[in-house]
Formats: sequence, structure tokens, C-alpha cells
Amino acid sequence: MRDRPSGFGNPWLQLVLSVMCVLVSELLLKRGATETADPASEWSWTGINSLASPLVWWAIILIIISFISWLYVLKYIPLTIAFPLSRVVDILVPLSCWIFLGEVISARRWCGIGLVVVGLALVAKPIARIGERL
Amino acid sequence: MTWLSLFFIVASLLSFVGAQLVLKRAMESTNTQSGSLRSLRFISRMAAGIALMTISFFLTLGLLQRFDLSYLYPFQGLSVIIITILAGVILKEKLTMQLTIGGVLISAGIVLVSLS
Repeated sequence: MRDRPSGFGNPWLQLVLSVMCVLVSELLLKRGATETADPASEWSWTGINSLASPLVWWAIILIIISFISWLYVLKYIPLTIAFPLSRVVDILVPLSCWIFLGEVISARRWCGIGLVVVGLALVAKPIARIGERL
Repeated sequence: MTWLSLFFIVASLLSFVGAQLVLKRAMESTNTQSGSLRSLRFISRMAAGIALMTISFFLTLGLLQRFDLSYLYPFQGLSVIIITILAGVILKEKLTMQLTIGGVLISAGIVLVSLS
């Protein structure tokens, strides 16, 4: 295993960058796909007609950036740790809607967010040990 | 949900999971002494991973045209526990009880968040 780079090359920083790009791209994709929806079209199951939306192209650029940093993460961090941590994005979306858009979060959704936070903590706990080994 | 939509949901999930495993293998091969970005092993794995990601991406776009994101997200949530277990079994990564429980909780949490 190679030495873990520091600064911008730090794999944990790259994981954060990757997650932020995914967060924004998910929202852009949903808007772009809805704008161009044409369920009557024969090819619509493939999603190819969504390429007509500029939002989808912006999302693709962000996905490419997140993909490159994700590959970098995979080089240094085990998948059993990196992938579950990357899904922090699934609670960042409802939380940012609550904080920035004033949307209401139901009790069931709060329970889900709580479960994800506990799960993330369990996965993140061995990181200190792995950091030492890297 | 029709059988056709279930088929596409499962296909997009499996191609995504497969892509992650293949890409991890590709990047791991660059960590070895003989590994380089020009080696056939790296290039073939990377190409397979990118192909699977592309399939998953377009299938997801097709699904998004028909269903709300909140409907599709529970299925994406399942990818956490599936990838955690397969990384342990196929990639031989160290899979502790703590990581497994963490993966189950994250998956369950994502399903709950997206159901409500």
C-alpha cells in the first residue's frame, strides 16, 4: 500500500468532494429528466431523450468530477468503508431541504436519518485504525 | 409496479453494484508494483466498470422519467448493504460485524428516509 497523500490528494477530502458533486448532480438529473419526460416514446426506458436537457449535461460534468475523485478514493480506502460513507449524501439531501428550503421532515424521515447517522458512525469508527495503517 | 419496471430497477441496481466492485479491482491493481495505468489488466477492468456505470446511469434516467425520485431511492439504499457484503465476499476485504451492522443501518435508514 502506498503512502497516503496529504493536502488536496487526501483520499478523505476527495471522498467529501465526490459526495458534494453527487448531491448537486442528483437534483439536476431529476429536474432534467422530468423536463424531457416522454413516456410514450419507444426508447424512453433507456433515458437517452433526457440528453436534450442542459441540466442533464451539467449533471454529467459533475458526475465525471465525482467519478474521478471516487476512483482516487477507491485506490486508498476499502470499499466496505468508502461506499457506506459516500451514502451520507442520502441524508444530506433531506437535511439541506429542511435547512435551506424550510421543508418539513416527518417523524419517520427523522428516524431514517437517525439510523443512517448511527450506521455511519459504526462504519467510520475503524477509520482511525485504517488511517494509521495507510 | 409492473414486472417490466421491477426488471429495470433490479438491472440498474445490479449494474451499479457490479461497476463498483470492478472499479475497486481496477484501482487496486495500480497499487501493486507491476501495476500501471497502461497495463491491460487495469484498462480492461476500468473499461468494464465504466460500461456498467453507463448502463446503470441510462437505466436510472429512464426510471426517473416514470417514477418519483422518492420512489426509486429505497432501491438505491439497498446498494449499501449489497456492496458491503460483496466487497467482503468477492474482493476479500475485511468485513467485521461492526461494518455489516453499520451497512444494514445505513440501508434501512435510507429506505425509511425515502419512504416518508
